[in-house]
Amino acid sequence: MRFLFLPLALVLTPAHAQFNLNLDRILDTVKNVSKATREIDEKEEIAIGRDMAARLLGAAPLVADARLQRYVNNVGRWLASQTERAELPWQFGVLDAPQLNAFAVPGGTIFVTRGLLAKMRNEAELAGVLSHEIAHVLKKHHLKAIQKGAQVSLAGDAFSTALSDSRSEARAKLISFGTEMYSRGLDKSDELEADRLGVVIAARGGYDAYGLPAVLQTLQAMNAEDSAVALMFKTHPAPAERLDALGEKMQPTLDAYSNQPQLPERFTVEAKAAR
Amino acid sequence: MRFLALLWLLPFLCWAEPAVVIRATELKKEPATDAATVAELAENAALDAGERKGGWTRVRTPGGSEGWVKMLLLRYGAPGTAKAGDTGLSQMFNVARTGTSGTTVTTGVRGLDAEQISNAHPNVAELGKMASFAATKEASSGFAKRAKLQARQVDYPAP
Repeated sequence: MRFLFLPLALVLTPAHAQFNLNLDRILDTVKNVSKATREIDEKEEIAIGRDMAARLLGAAPLVADARLQRYVNNVGRWLASQTERAELPWQFGVLDAPQLNAFAVPGGTIFVTRGLLAKMRNEAELAGVLSHEIAHVLKKHHLKAIQKGAQVSLAGDAFSTALSDSRSEARAKLISFGTEMYSRGLDKSDELEADRLGVVIAARGGYDAYGLPAVLQTLQAMNAEDSAVALMFKTHPAPAERLDALGEKMQPTLDAYSNQPQLPERFTVEAKAAR
Repeated sequence: MRFLALLWLLPFLCWAEPAVVIRATELKKEPATDAATVAELAENAALDAGERKGGWTRVRTPGGSEGWVKMLLLRYGAPGTAKAGDTGLSQMFNVARTGTSGTTVTTGVRGLDAEQISNAHPNVAELGKMASFAATKEASSGFAKRAKLQARQVDYPAP
């Protein structure tokens, strides 16, 4: 912001009055830039998230199995209830796509693909993945990235319009940018943070804390060239690096909660439709 | 679909996966730090990995010794070899959905690669359907209780 105040200060100095710049216009610009950097409130976060979720559902619909969808919602809602954003309108969906991936959408919408579910062995592994995604929402990782990007692509009033008018062109731009985040990926530090918090959230929910590392190990065993994992590997640190990081920072927590239930039987019955 | 049926069996096949340990470690008789040591394993020692129990994975050495190592020390894939190739999953799903050869379907196939995400149009009907499956806090609490899951106080790690 500093660079914006400097020209303004020059204009306000009488010695530069002969430049006869349009002061109102400059003040307008300053005002609008400050609008673009304002915090997105929770109501707006939820509304933006709904639009982004609709786009992802346009790429892949839900697996048409009510039992599976309700099951994943129960696991996810229970985990989200153990967090500082327990009151968000959390919803969870299994996308009918062969690719292995999971997505966190601002405002509390979480997706996991049928392809990833098919690789899991028990409910603790599902809990580990959902907890990682819940952590992204808690820390507003995508929302912050969207806000940062909007300062560049939506100048002036456009950002405000995008937030307030869901039918505006600016809104469409914001949602496009937000959805593109899923093919570009977050910062590596965001992903590693979500892994650490994910382990904690799964443990709080009473699950074997090794669920997330177990899924990472399954992914690590796969070929990075496999088309089913191409996008997930491109947008996340390598599974081996994520396992290293968890070993370094989370070993005591993992071991303290490694004997909690894994629930393979319930998972096998309830997630049958993803196989 | 025979391939998918095999995938489903994978978790139940013991000793299915070649792996290495990323650091020198002890092969333990039981899945516990204070269990007897069966053998000393060098960094990058090749093993066959089996099932996991808590933070431990059952392994077998090429010499035939069996025991347990810390699961976070294991990385899958034999040293110096490429991992298994493309699962062909994407193609199979295309076949399943269209009933024709997956390779002939180049447009209009939905899925979650980068391009498909970028080109997606909003599906508001599916969004509504998803909302109908949402669980309340209370319902999910009962769901947890039925499996004897117990909520714990666990602190986040220091940043």
